[in-house]
Amino acid sequence: MKEEQSKEKVKKFGMVIDLDKCTGCGACMVACMAENNVPFKEDESKKLDSITWLRIYKLTNGKPFPDADICYLPRPCQHCGGKGEHGHSPCVSVCPATATDYSKETGIVSQIYTRCFGCRYCMAACPYHARYFNWWDPVWPDGMEKYLSPNVSVRMRGIVEKCSFCFHRYQLAKDKAYFEGRREIEENEYQTACTQACPAGAIAFGDLNNPKHAVYELKKSSNAFRLLERLQTNPKVYYISGREWVRRAGDNYLKDEKK
Amino acid sequence: MDSALIPRGVKRCPTWQFALWIGAAGAVLLWGVFAMLLCWFKGLNQTNMNDAYGFALWIWADLAVIALGGGAFFTGFLRYIVGKDELKNIINYAVLIGFICYSSALLILAIDIGQPLRGWFIFWHANVHSMLTEVAFCLTCYFGVLTIEYVPLILENRQIDKIPFFHRLGHNMHEIMAVFAATGAFLSFFHQGSLGGVSGVLFGRPFGYREGIFIWPWTFFLYTWSAAACGPCFTILITKITEKITGKKLVKQNVIELLAKISGWMIGTYIIAKIIDTWYWAKVTAPAAGFNLMDFYSNNPFYGIWILVLEIVICGVVPAMILISEKGRKNPAALMTAIILAVLGACVNRWVMVLQVMAVPVLTFENWVMYYPSWQEVATTILPVAYGVILISLSYRYLPIFPQEQELNPEA
Amino acid sequence: MKIDRRCFLSLGIGGAAGLALSPIPWKLADDSAIWTQMWPWTPVPADGETTYVKSACTLCPGGCGISVRKVDNRAVKIEGMEGHPVNDGGICLLGLSGLQLLYGPTRVKTPLKRAGERGEGKWVKITWEEAISEVAKKLGDLRENGESSSVACISGTDKGSVPTLFKRFLSVYGSPNFMRMPSVLDSYELALSLSFGFAAQQGFDLEKADFILSFGSGIIEGWGSPVRMIRAKSSWRESGGKTVQVEPRLSNTAAKSDKWIPINPGTEYALALGLAGVIITKSLYRNDFVKGSTSGFDKFAGLVLSAYTPDAAEKITGIKKETIEALAVDFARAAKPVAICGRGQGRAQGSLGELMAVQALNALVGNINKEGGIFAFPNPGYMAWPDYIADDIAAEGIKKERADGAGSGNFGYAKNLTNRFAETVKSGKAAVNVLFVLESNPLYSLSDTNTVKEAFKKIPFIVSFSSFMDETAINSDLILPNHVYLERYEDVYVATGLSKPVVSLSKPVVSPQFNTKHAGDVVLLIAKEMGSPVADSFPWKSYSACLEEILGGKWDKLVREGFWTDGASSTPVFKTSSGKFEFAGGFIDLAALFAPVNAEGDPKAYPLLLIPYDSMRIASGYIGDPPFAVKTVEDTVLKGKDALVEVNPATARAGGFSEGSYAILKTPKGSAKVKVHLFDGIMPGLVAMPRGLGHTAYDNYLAGKGINVNELIGTVEDPASGLDAAWGIRANLIKA
Ligand SMILES: Nc1nc2c(c(=O)[nH]1)N[C@H]1C(S)=C(S)[C@@H](COP(=O)(O)OP(=O)(O)OC[C@H]3O[C@@H](n4cnc5c(=O)[nH]c(N)nc54)[C@H](O)[C@@H]3O)O[C@H]1N2
Ligand SMILES: Nc1nc2c(c(=O)[nH]1)N[C@H]1C(S)=C(S)[C@@H](COP(=O)(O)OP(=O)(O)OC[C@H]3O[C@H](n4cnc5c(=O)[nH]c(N)nc54)[C@H](O)[C@@H]3O)O[C@H]1N2
Ligand code: SF4
Ligand code: SF4
Ligand code: SF4
Ligand code: SF4
Ligand code: SF4
Ligand SMILES: [Mo]
Repeated sequence: MKEEQSKEKVKKFGMVIDLDKCTGCGACMVACMAENNVPFKEDESKKLDSITWLRIYKLTNGKPFPDADICYLPRPCQHCGGKGEHGHSPCVSVCPATATDYSKETGIVSQIYTRCFGCRYCMAACPYHARYFNWWDPVWPDGMEKYLSPNVSVRMRGIVEKCSFCFHRYQLAKDKAYFEGRREIEENEYQTACTQACPAGAIAFGDLNNPKHAVYELKKSSNAFRLLERLQTNPKVYYISGREWVRRAGDNYLKDEKK
Repeated sequence: MDSALIPRGVKRCPTWQFALWIGAAGAVLLWGVFAMLLCWFKGLNQTNMNDAYGFALWIWADLAVIALGGGAFFTGFLRYIVGKDELKNIINYAVLIGFICYSSALLILAIDIGQPLRGWFIFWHANVHSMLTEVAFCLTCYFGVLTIEYVPLILENRQIDKIPFFHRLGHNMHEIMAVFAATGAFLSFFHQGSLGGVSGVLFGRPFGYREGIFIWPWTFFLYTWSAAACGPCFTILITKITEKITGKKLVKQNVIELLAKISGWMIGTYIIAKIIDTWYWAKVTAPAAGFNLMDFYSNNPFYGIWILVLEIVICGVVPAMILISEKGRKNPAALMTAIILAVLGACVNRWVMVLQVMAVPVLTFENWVMYYPSWQEVATTILPVAYGVILISLSYRYLPIFPQEQELNPEA
Repeated sequence: MKIDRRCFLSLGIGGAAGLALSPIPWKLADDSAIWTQMWPWTPVPADGETTYVKSACTLCPGGCGISVRKVDNRAVKIEGMEGHPVNDGGICLLGLSGLQLLYGPTRVKTPLKRAGERGEGKWVKITWEEAISEVAKKLGDLRENGESSSVACISGTDKGSVPTLFKRFLSVYGSPNFMRMPSVLDSYELALSLSFGFAAQQGFDLEKADFILSFGSGIIEGWGSPVRMIRAKSSWRESGGKTVQVEPRLSNTAAKSDKWIPINPGTEYALALGLAGVIITKSLYRNDFVKGSTSGFDKFAGLVLSAYTPDAAEKITGIKKETIEALAVDFARAAKPVAICGRGQGRAQGSLGELMAVQALNALVGNINKEGGIFAFPNPGYMAWPDYIADDIAAEGIKKERADGAGSGNFGYAKNLTNRFAETVKSGKAAVNVLFVLESNPLYSLSDTNTVKEAFKKIPFIVSFSSFMDETAINSDLILPNHVYLERYEDVYVATGLSKPVVSLSKPVVSPQFNTKHAGDVVLLIAKEMGSPVADSFPWKSYSACLEEILGGKWDKLVREGFWTDGASSTPVFKTSSGKFEFAGGFIDLAALFAPVNAEGDPKAYPLLLIPYDSMRIASGYIGDPPFAVKTVEDTVLKGKDALVEVNPATARAGGFSEGSYAILKTPKGSAKVKVHLFDGIMPGLVAMPRGLGHTAYDNYLAGKGINVNELIGTVEDPASGLDAAWGIRANLIKA
């Protein structure tokens, strides 16, 4: 008993996103921007220099009218564990300055803005395009910087940023628990901003290792899949869809390959 | 005017002509410096890079220039370690070209990173798992070695040599040059390799990813091999260009041919390895990730299968065959063609391993991303060329770079 | 000591080596690295005490509860309020962007009086006293001259205490011309008064329904109360509820439905009648309800069985009759089926016939005033207003015909015909001397923007109460900027189809950031300035005192919990003369009610059809899309400043267009340069364009991007009701 208490369980935070519930409404994207002091520019229609930690992709089945179908797929950082769960995520292992790191305690891939010197090797390494470079100085119109949150530092030009699984929320929850004399935090005490906002309840977030958390069972669904599993990036974001074409769009297959 | 500085027994153009030449190169250099300052002060929004193309023209230029600068370590290796004595007649120039290539690479890196003032974090907060860390350390050390190899040459300047301290220093450095050459060869083996590792380890990018042994993907070895193979060709090419511009024969043909022959065998063996690598990748590595070979070469406006043919056949097999055959080496046109193709081959290889890696869509719902550089990128990439021209011109004019020059141009 | 060359050199080299080994270079490098983190132009948010304030969002009619995170005096994040009956913690992207509006650059910071020409953007700052006395004087003069009815007000809503204060002011002053912006709620209200027999609003118990047949309603695209609807959609996934979406374009709602049935645009009414025909033919209707609680069934059945057989319906709608028959059976056999209409978010009113046809389906399956069905709510009545005193001038003025014609002549049933207002003013049929604009942006939002502009030119004095420099504010003569919702008290009543009445309280989360005033207070001040008798009906010393008084006992609960809801859901009554649900709604000629509405324009000159569509990512009402929201707009919708229109690849090929090519989109109302986006999910022959782009006002994050679809679309008057029945317009795409 005593032993069990003192040994802090290794956590593996992750997400399960139900694509059949996701409406593509974009609330998660904006929740993330608002939570994490993400900057914006006058023209954000060039999606290749537009910082969106959480990006929603619009998938199409490629069929003509009236058999066409679309599906939205929200893509945060996948917090890849890498082969064999050693924390060799594609991005972490390549960063020369250890500015991005894999936490063995939470499974969260961090990004240290003040350490990053902007070589962009991690961006080359990430097949999900989850990493964003600050090509410009972040500028808020006069007065608007009032809404910036002190919980997340504002990033400077010339460095890379990405979804953090709202790590500051984990820290705040841990602090709170600590002050209340608790060791563990409850599932609802640490939820990401996108999960919290989603009006469709499409996103579930929690400890993939913890049977008491919703994601534990959800990820086992026969309709669950991860993006580019064949690359062995070992993501911690799972998707669920009842539609075969959507599940198949999650990975690359040779022409005649059966899934 | 500057005759006192010019080595004895050789003829150089008039000072005004030289000044004009340097002035022209200097103008290009200033254009590049202007672009560089723009990038430093306004940031990398001055480029056409984007979140899909985090690596682009600059990283290609870096890799290409380092591959071609490989002539320095390999010629040094042949001269000092293997003992190909004739190569002493070209080693100076090889070292100079290497020095230019490596200093250019470092400069480009300093422009390429988003926070140049934090560049030193790569040493201070080094991550041993990162190929770039290895690259940075080896590159910097090897640049040091090249400097040490270049310094005795500077000390041979007529006026500097008059100072006994420098005379003796230069002499002593020559004595121990084999040690540095060996060090250089060792360092080069690793940094050329780790440059190859840069894209080879990207297991999220099926176009670049290669299997390998232990921590090294096959590209690690292929890069070292190709740099050793094509680097000397670049040395020969620059020598030939210099001869053309100065209108003088500077290095004896037997020296060139020896280097060309070795290069030919290196390219030949390299290209066999490269073909095996490509085959294995196309048949095993990529399909395991769900890709057919042609997925990488279709549905986009630029990257056709032609590029693979160009790299492997036209710029690999062809120059290897020419350079391996005595007839090919003896025919000046064939020799030149082979040399140029080999240099081009290394450049194309580095291009695809940097840019095509970025361009190929990996997520099924993304598309190919095309890219063309902004003028600022072009200018900063040309900057090192202008800088190289200037450094070569100064060195050629004031230093005894070519030991055979006097002998080959007796009338001077 | 003689300094020779050697000595000098060794000193130099030694010095350099010493420096390199000293901490100096490291310190300098470190300092420079730190400096890059402290660039003075990169803001560092101040820390402080974190608190949460419960309030309500008013950025759309959805009425969500919000919880605003504050750090000291700054609002730093808006989140959905857990436990709120509308959204229970969920929130939409517009609500999340609210702080960009609060602190944004488009706020009007102080009362402004026009200096240059209208629309030129030249203003002088004036004091609140000057502004109020100017308005009061102008109103006083008009009243003296017996022209009180030439004062009008356009409001985003007529619910809640502030619009009611404006309406009350006009009544006391002597004008009938309080108008609210058009939407499908106008149709619903009209239909309810005809078939239920009383002024009511529609409630949908959608969460408990098990089969939702939607005639183009954007269930997950902002129809009704957006967050509530998206939550309902998810709940069906868990409960097994089925949804069928009928519309010509694969909207997000269509894609997420169990079945998408593409239909010729504008023929939804015919499908509804065709379905009714099948249900009647196969006797699938709920006999008990139809027999006991409806009237006019035989007449309705007569029309439907003769004119809307499956074959006839197939011909009109383009939907195979087998599909129609199967759908009718599925709908009728479901336990709790509900049919809804109002295209997209319901921004257009639509024809009365279409709504009556859809309501008829609900009546046939007897799902009215039942759990999982539809309800008619009596008026909210949560506010208790003291009677007002109307003097002779007021009594006289209020009896005059409204500027939009609503409530008189052909349009006796209609309460608001704001769509007609621009036309009557432009043509001189109605004289308007003063226009108040409250929380709406008619110059942008009303169809046929050019006519609206012309009409506005004829109005000598326009007063905007807008918080933002929107298109209407720019073209006004006086701006009396309101606080934004995060700076003010206001009741927020949700009229958009909830299953029970909910009122929330919007609270001053932060103190007013600028020299603005609550529009409610401004009305009180204007009344006071005008003196008796107008002032007598406005005895409150401030708006908040007024609100507290009229809310009575609910005030405390609202302040404490943020919302108030009436548990009792509905009163199952019909107040028609028959005391039953009226299929025919009192219409003698049913064929006239269920008449097709054709799109404006000559099919020869305009072979295609332009239809607008709605997106959650583009706010298209009074509120302009904030920067965060614009950021989420896909590059297949907006690229740089170019708008992309959706076209079926076959249609595009026929016109010689490929992905991204430029085209001139021409309609009888105007033309615009657009880019073509190929979309397999749209019916051939159509061109679809999003609402909410093409602003000329607001900031550089929004202005100048895309095209305002209202400039290209006109109104089509529904002969049965006077409502704007347009669902699109004929169009052509010409190579640019
Ligand atoms: N806060 C908030 N405001 C909203 C909305 C929301 O969701 N939240 N929704 C908006 C939308 S979408 C719409 S369409 C509208 C719908 O709003 P309304 O058109 O206002 O809808 P009704 O429920 O019919 O309300 C009519 C009002 O007029 C009064 N009334 C009824 N009969 C008479 C009459 O004979 N004479 C007079 N003088 N008054 C009468 C009633 O007191 C009632 O308050 O509300 C809008 N306003
Ligand atoms: N997303 C969504 N869109 C809808 C609908 C929907 O349900 N969902 N319903 C449609 C219907 S039925 C109607 S009637 C129309 C109404 O459509 P419009 O007439 O275009 O309504 P708005 O102009 O948006 O006015 C709505 C609100 O704007 C105001 N407002 C919002 N934020 C602020 C603020 O910060 N400051 C100030 N001063 N005022 C603010 C009022 O609170 C008011 O409730 O909307 C339609 N659009
Ligand atoms: S908020 Fe939810 S429903 Fe909306 S796009 Fe994000 S995941 Fe999908
Ligand atoms: S998704 Fe990309 S950034 Fe995130 S952990 Fe994986 S490789 Fe790294
Ligand atoms: S850009 Fe920053 S985080 Fe990415 S690899 Fe380079 S230093 Fe590391
Ligand atoms: S987890 Fe947090 S940081 Fe990541 S996408 Fe969601 S809101 Fe953004
Ligand atoms: S749905 Fe409407 S009321 Fe609710 S948060 Fe969004 S904008 Fe606000
Ligand atoms: Mo409405």
